[in-house]
Parts: sequence; structure tokens; C-alpha cells
Amino acid sequence: MDKGIGIHIEGLSKRYGAGDTAVDALKEVNMSVAPGEVVGLIGPSGSGKTTLLKCLGAVTEPTKGRMTLGGEVIYDNGWKISDLRVLRRDRIGFIFQAPYLIPFLDVTDNVALLPMLAGRPNGEARARALELLQALDVAHRAKAETSELSGGEQQRVSIARALANRPPVILADEPTAPLDSERALAVMRILNQMATQYQTAIIVVTHDEKIIPTFKRIYNIRDGRTFEETGEGRALE
Amino acid sequence: MISLAGRDILHSWGKFVLTGLGLGLLIGVTLTMAGVYRGMVDDAEVLLNNSGADLWVVQKDTLGPYAESSSIPDDVYRGILGMPGVAQAANVTYLTMQVRKGSTDVRAMAVGFEPGQPGEPNYLVAGRRITRSHYEAVADVMTGFQVGDRIRIRRHDFIVVGLTRRMVSSGGDPMVFIPLKDAQEAQFLKDNDAIVNSRARTAANPALNRPGVPGLLEAINASQASNHNVNAILVRVDDGHSPEAVAQDIRRWKHLQAFTLAQMEDILIAKLIATASKQIGMFLAILTVVSAAIVAFIIYTMTLGKIREIAVLKLIGAQDRTIASMILQQALGLGLIGFVVGKIAATVWGPAFPKYVLLLPTDAMRGFVIVMVVCVLASTLAIRAALKVDPATAIGG
Amino acid sequence: MKIPFTLPRQIWFAVFGILLLPAFIWVLMRSGPLAPIQVTVTKVVKGEVAPSLFGIGTVEARRAYLIGPTAAGRVGRVLVDVSDTVKSGQLLAEMDPVDLDKRAASAAAAAQRGQSAVITAQAQVSDAKSRQALAASEAQRYVDLAGKGFVSQSVVDGKLQQQQSADAQLSAAESTLTSARQDLARLEADREGAKQQRGNIRLLSPVDGVVTSRDAEPGTTVIAGQSVLRLEKPDSLWITVRLDQGRSAGLRAGLPADILLRSNPGKTLAGNVLRVEPNSDSVTEERIAQVGFNTLPQGVSTNEMAEVTLHLPGVTDALIVPNACLRYRGAQAGVWLRADGDLRFVPVKTGAAGLDGKVQIVEGLKAGDEVVVYSERELKDDSRIKVVDSLAGTAK
Repeated sequence: MDKGIGIHIEGLSKRYGAGDTAVDALKEVNMSVAPGEVVGLIGPSGSGKTTLLKCLGAVTEPTKGRMTLGGEVIYDNGWKISDLRVLRRDRIGFIFQAPYLIPFLDVTDNVALLPMLAGRPNGEARARALELLQALDVAHRAKAETSELSGGEQQRVSIARALANRPPVILADEPTAPLDSERALAVMRILNQMATQYQTAIIVVTHDEKIIPTFKRIYNIRDGRTFEETGEGRALE
Repeated sequence: MISLAGRDILHSWGKFVLTGLGLGLLIGVTLTMAGVYRGMVDDAEVLLNNSGADLWVVQKDTLGPYAESSSIPDDVYRGILGMPGVAQAANVTYLTMQVRKGSTDVRAMAVGFEPGQPGEPNYLVAGRRITRSHYEAVADVMTGFQVGDRIRIRRHDFIVVGLTRRMVSSGGDPMVFIPLKDAQEAQFLKDNDAIVNSRARTAANPALNRPGVPGLLEAINASQASNHNVNAILVRVDDGHSPEAVAQDIRRWKHLQAFTLAQMEDILIAKLIATASKQIGMFLAILTVVSAAIVAFIIYTMTLGKIREIAVLKLIGAQDRTIASMILQQALGLGLIGFVVGKIAATVWGPAFPKYVLLLPTDAMRGFVIVMVVCVLASTLAIRAALKVDPATAIGG
Repeated sequence: MKIPFTLPRQIWFAVFGILLLPAFIWVLMRSGPLAPIQVTVTKVVKGEVAPSLFGIGTVEARRAYLIGPTAAGRVGRVLVDVSDTVKSGQLLAEMDPVDLDKRAASAAAAAQRGQSAVITAQAQVSDAKSRQALAASEAQRYVDLAGKGFVSQSVVDGKLQQQQSADAQLSAAESTLTSARQDLARLEADREGAKQQRGNIRLLSPVDGVVTSRDAEPGTTVIAGQSVLRLEKPDSLWITVRLDQGRSAGLRAGLPADILLRSNPGKTLAGNVLRVEPNSDSVTEERIAQVGFNTLPQGVSTNEMAEVTLHLPGVTDALIVPNACLRYRGAQAGVWLRADGDLRFVPVKTGAAGLDGKVQIVEGLKAGDEVVVYSERELKDDSRIKVVDSLAGTAK
């Protein structure tokens, strides 16, 4: 695997607690995702996938291991980045189970918020937001309030938000859980398009049977350990 | 960067405005209470300044005539007029009583004065000054009387010939000005039954009702039915003389008590108003605490309702500073709306209060600063809650 | 929040703000010391002032009579009651005569006895006269005889002595008669005196009048000078009016008066000043005048209160202002003059003042000057004012 950009994890472990009550959520996890690749992370609940996302998302500190994101070592038995928040803002895009849009901002500003937080002038931020909204085919709802959108439209806006700062990495947590089969496949289609277009490395945590066949590569996670697999790689039109 | 606070306010503007209105009414009450206190102090000052006097001469060893009752003979003023430095000296009487008009009565202070002398109101808002020596009155508008009304003071009917304004006693009762002799009679003469009883009692007393001395009984009844006392003498001091020096002279040589303007202010404000001002001070403190609690509660509730969004914002990279400033701005905005509403409300309903409410701009500014400070402090609770949110909770929800 | 309107919420918020901000500014400007003081103004005009004096008085009778005995005694009978009209000389009451009748009888009897004594003395004088005549003629005859030498001198001396003794007896008898006559005069005077005393206990009315008070009933003991009845002449009612010394300039006899009786306040009666008392009341600082009715009204009682207005001669062609304009700075009267948009305190000298509030300005203003009449507050030299038609809360 190319270690330059994308995601690269070596020997990542996370222990909660100490002594007799200690729980090892992650045990020596290894993982790699190339730029432009969409990889599935599949496992039952309690397997540690949420913990892995939290470590990758720089909100939880691992116990030991090494994480490289976008060519930059962010963790090597200790955080190597001083400001994790800036890391999250600029280098990682988050897609949640629910869209989690900010209800008091309109659609454009929800997406433009991230570049604004990064210091971009409002006009430039909104222009970029509009661009992403167009790519995701929701530009016609640019001025709408988030509450006026349908579930699928909201999901697409949240994807646009995740891409707004052009992060090298996107972490998606059950993005298709509430959707039906057609919409779920549409989301996967979009993710793959965006990944290719912007050369983003995307990890999708899921147990949705509908989309598992679309992955070319899958990581199974059980009891804190990951096992690489080759996926079906079913095509998406 | 857009204003997150502004967007949030605009988004739930109804709730915000309604809360602002409620808070504003509370702030209005607070401002009004401060205005009541200022009004009481102003009442006292107006009472002292409108009388046109430099000195108040009262019964020895009393704090009269407002704080304590004082009674001096009505011919003492002649001696005072002769003293050096005295330009004018005039008798006045004060009696707080119920003044009847038709079937209603009004609590007022009847002031007996001599025209052209200190004690007379210096300006009118309607009608004319008193021209007859008896049975005409000038009333303060707060009595509700109009020019031409017939009012009853004790045993006589008076006709209101003029109206004035801001002539109130230190207790806030409006004043009614009547000629001195009528006031002396009102202060002294009782109703007909009492007079008849008193005459019968005198006639039954053999020492006073002596057949060998014709005319004795009539003379005694006449002396009992007349009053030659007043409550105070108002003195105006000549230019170039110090009121305190003249007061010293009066105290020493006339066996009376004399107070300068400064001393009267001290008596009225320090002694009469002291209890009321303490009460108002406590009210203000309680209202401030209540307002702070309300702002804190509202802002805290609004913040709790946004916990998930705050977690997401923190996760996607918003600074703690940005989130704290959003909450703080909302608290300040609430305070601003509340203050504006409160100031308008206090100005609108102030004149409707039975006592004088004086809203000073300095009080309003002080109030504004306190409201802002209170909002800042009240928002700390919500800010602490917001900062404690763990961004990780956004994942895996 | 769902908004049922079609406009975006920013507009509504802006509307709210736009309403609030001017309200706030209006509030700041209107209240507190920033606001201008509202005043009304009027022009100084030429007109007439009708100065009058006002006082309160009581109705009294000019002449009141106190009827009573000149000596202590008991009231025997009282023949009239309050409100009875009596004529001059009418018997009103009588004291108990007690022993006066007996005393009069005793005096009459004594006079009678005196009369008898006079008769006795007269008889004695006659007797002495006759003896004296005889003694005188005898003495003369014997002197003649002595002259002829028929009798001795001692006999003559004896007869002369008898003559002298008879003379003396005659003088004595005459003086006894004189003294009896004087005694009679005294006893007759005593008798008359007793009669007069008996007459004194009859209390007669000195004038035509009305009884106003019945002070003692029969059987009551009264002393000399104590009143049994009081009388008044009903056509002598007048009003004793008291006027403040300070406001009684121009008071003199002859001024026309308007009288309002307390018992009938709707009717104004006409009268005039009959007398101004030379003594004022120094305690109450009032002057006293007597005002008479032009026509005496019916049903007036004494001691009734009256309000009396005396009309002084009017002043025409005077500069007048309402007295509400006057302001006092210390003892100096003045007005606030509004000239060239500027406010200035002008000292003035006032002249006549009417009871209706018009005051004559003698010095300090001219016709057409605009002066402040009513003001919300005390004006100062630097006050900002706003002229209105009438001050709030006073318009009827």
C-alpha cells in the first residue's frame, strides 16, 4: 500500500480502563486506504468499529500504535499534532448516521460553515459550497431551510459538508442505515464519484447488506481485530 | 465568518422575542422601583425647594414640621422678622387629612399660607392664585380636583381656583393650599358634636361658669374655640447673610429650633425615607437576582437544546471560543431586548403610579450596564455546559 | 419556528427592531430632564380691573339691650318669650318683690305719723304764739304802768321776763314745727323711695324690639346686672366684617358691598359700609368694618356668617395679566417674558388686583408682551420651553 497519502494504520490499540476491569477495544489494528478508494468496515456492535472511527477522527486517544492521514503522521504512541481540532476541520470529513445539519443555518451556509471556520472569506466559502451542492445535485435547494429538505437531500447536503474543506479523508458512520435500497445505492454512487473526483480516501462503517456488495475491499472487525477481505465490488451505474 | 448567534436568534426569533418581552417587563419593574425611590427623594427635595424658604423655624427640640409635629404661637414671626438677615418670615401650617369632594375623599396635606410669602406655590398649571382671604384653595393635580370643584375641609367648603403640580408632602400626599386662618381653624376646630360637648362641659364646671361674673362663660368658650398656633415659620434670608448664622441666632435667642435647607434635606431623606429606601434596595437586589436567574435559565435551556449541534460543531472543527461566544452573544442580545422593552415599559406605565416615579437617564445607563453584566454572568452556566460536551458523542450516536 | 407569513423572517425581525428603536428614542427624549418644559402663554392687554376687598363677617344687632334688675333678687314672673315683639314701656318681667310691699307700707305709715307730728307741732306753735302775744301785751301794759309809776320795776321785770320766756317758747315751738316738717319730708321721701324700689322690680322694655334671649326663669336668683331678657331692635342688624389688614387698602365708609349669607348662599344682597372701626384686631391682624343691608332681608338671624365683598372703584385702561403669571424671586414679583424666542425674568410692580385673578401691571411690561402663564415646573433662566394650549391633565 502507498503510505504517502490516504489512511494508514499500524498496530493501533485502545484500552479502556485499567487493571482487572480493563477492556481492549482495539487490538493491533492494521489498515490502509488509498486516495480515491472507498473501503467498507464491517463488524457487529461492540466489535470496536466505533472506537476505531473515534481514534481515526482524532476525538479519542489510542493507547498505542501509529496513524498516518494524508501523508502526515498524526499519532505515533502519542499525538503528533498539536491542534487536533484543526486536523479534524481541515483534514477529515465526517458523515454521520443522521445528517446532523445545523438547523439554524440554511443549506448553503451549512456547507460553507467549514471553509468559514477555516478562515476563508464568506463569498469564497459559499461559492465552494454551491459548487459541491451542484455536484451532488441539490443546488436547487441552496437557499432552503434544512427542515424543508427530504431525508435524501439532507444526506447529500451532509456529504457536501464533509467535502467542503477538501479533506484527504472521509469517515462515514452508517451513512445508509435509514435509507431504502435505491437511495442507499445512490449514496454509495455519490461517495464513489466524490472519492474519484477529489481523490479522497473514504472509510464507510456499515452493516447494511444492501451496500456491502459494492465495496471492492472490506475490513472485517471482530473483537478489536481487523481482517482484510476482498469485496464483491459490484458496479454502481 | 457568519454570526452563529445571530442566525440562531433569527431562526427561533419568536421564542427569543417573547423571552425578551418577559425579561423586559421584569427589568421595567426594576427600573420603576428605582424610579419610585428617586421619586421619593425628589418629592422631599421639591417640597423643600418649592417652599421658597431658606430656614424652617419650628418648636424647640422637635424635628418638625414634616418629620415631627411642631406647634408655635402665630405671633412669634414678628420677632423673627425683626432679626438681622431676615428678609421674609411667614407662618405656615401643615395638616395631613382627608379632603372630601362630593362622595369621595382624597388624602391630602392641607397647607395654610399667607399670600406673597414663602409657603405659597410659585407656579400654576391652571386657574389663578387665591385672591380672597377665606374659602379658596389651590390644589395639586394629583388630588384629581379640577378648577371650580367644591371641596370640603373639616367644617367649611372651599372652591378650587387654581391647580399646581409637583406639590407633594414628603409622604407623597398631594397638597391643597388654603389661607392660613382657615388652615388654623381646620387644624383645631372639631365637628359640631364635639364643640357642643365641650361647651356643655365648660358650662358644668362651676369654676368657669360663675353667675357673679357675667360674660365669663362666653369669654371662655370663645377662647377655647380659637386657635393661635402654627406649625412652622418659613424664613427667607437676605442676600449676603448666611442661613446658618441666622439660624444660630434664632436658636439661641428665640428658644426655637431652626433648620437650614441642608439640615432639612438630611432629616427628610435620612430619617423619613430611610426605611422605604432600604425596602426598595432589597427589592432591587431580589429583582436583579431573579432577572439573572431567568436569563441563566433561558440561555441554559436554549443551549441544552443544541447539545447535539454543539457536539457536531466541535467535531467538525469549531473552536471552543466560537461556541462560547455564540452563547454569550445570545445572552447579551436577550439582555438588550429586555432592557429596551423594560425602559419603554417603565416610561409608559410610570405616570400611572400613585406616587411620583422619576426615571433618570443615569439610572437607565446603570441599569443597562447591570443587565449586560448579569447576562454575562448568567451565560457562564450554559457556556460551561457547552464546553464540557465531548465531540466524540457525535460519532456512534 | 414556523412562520405563517410569506416574508422572510429577517424582514419581521427588522420590522420589530424598527418599531422598537424609535420608541426607545422617543422615550429617552420625552421623559427626564432632556424634555422641554410645557408652558402656556398669553399677551399683556389693556383692560379693566375691578379691585375688591373680601371678608367674612357675622350678622349682629347694632343695638342690643340687656334687661335685668338693679338689685339682687329672685325672678318673679317673665311675661315674654324669645321672638316676641315688644313695645317701648311694655312690662317684660317682674322680680319677686319679697318684703318691698311691706317696706312701702311701713314707709307710708311712718309718713303718716310724721304728718301727725307736724300737726302737733303746729298746734304747739299756735299755743306758744298765743302765750307770747299775751305775755307781750302784758309786758307792754306793765311797762306803761311803770312809766306812770303805778307798778314797781320788779313787777315790770317779771312781766318782761315772762314775755321773753314766751318768745323763747314760741321759737322752740316753731323750730319743733320746722323739724317736724323736715322729718315729714324725710319720711315722705322714704315712702317715695320704697315706691320707686317697688317699681324697679318691674322690668320694662326700653325700646320697640324683639326678644332674642330669655336667660332666667321665674324663681331663679339673679344678681344686679345679670340678664333676664335680651332685646334687639330688628331693623338695626348689620354685619361686622373682618378683613385682612394686608389686603384692606382702600377700605372706607360708603363702599358698596355684596353680601352672601351662609343661610342663603344663592342670593346676593346689596349693602354698603356704614363704619370702619377705628380699632383693629392686633392678634388676628384684621380690620373691622360694619356693613349695613340696603334692604333688610327676612329671616336673618344674628351670629349668622356672611361673606362680604366690597367694591373699590375700578381701574380702567390698565395693563392686565392673570395673577397666575406672577412669580416670586424672594420678595420681588415678576413674570417670565417671552421675547425673540428668548425667556427672561422681568421684575414688575403690580397695582390693583381683582378678585377674579386679573392684576394690573404698573411697571415692567407693555401691551402686547407675551408672558408665561402656566408651567409644568419651576422655570429657570436656561429652561427650554414648549408652548402648548393647555397643560396635560388640566383641560376640562
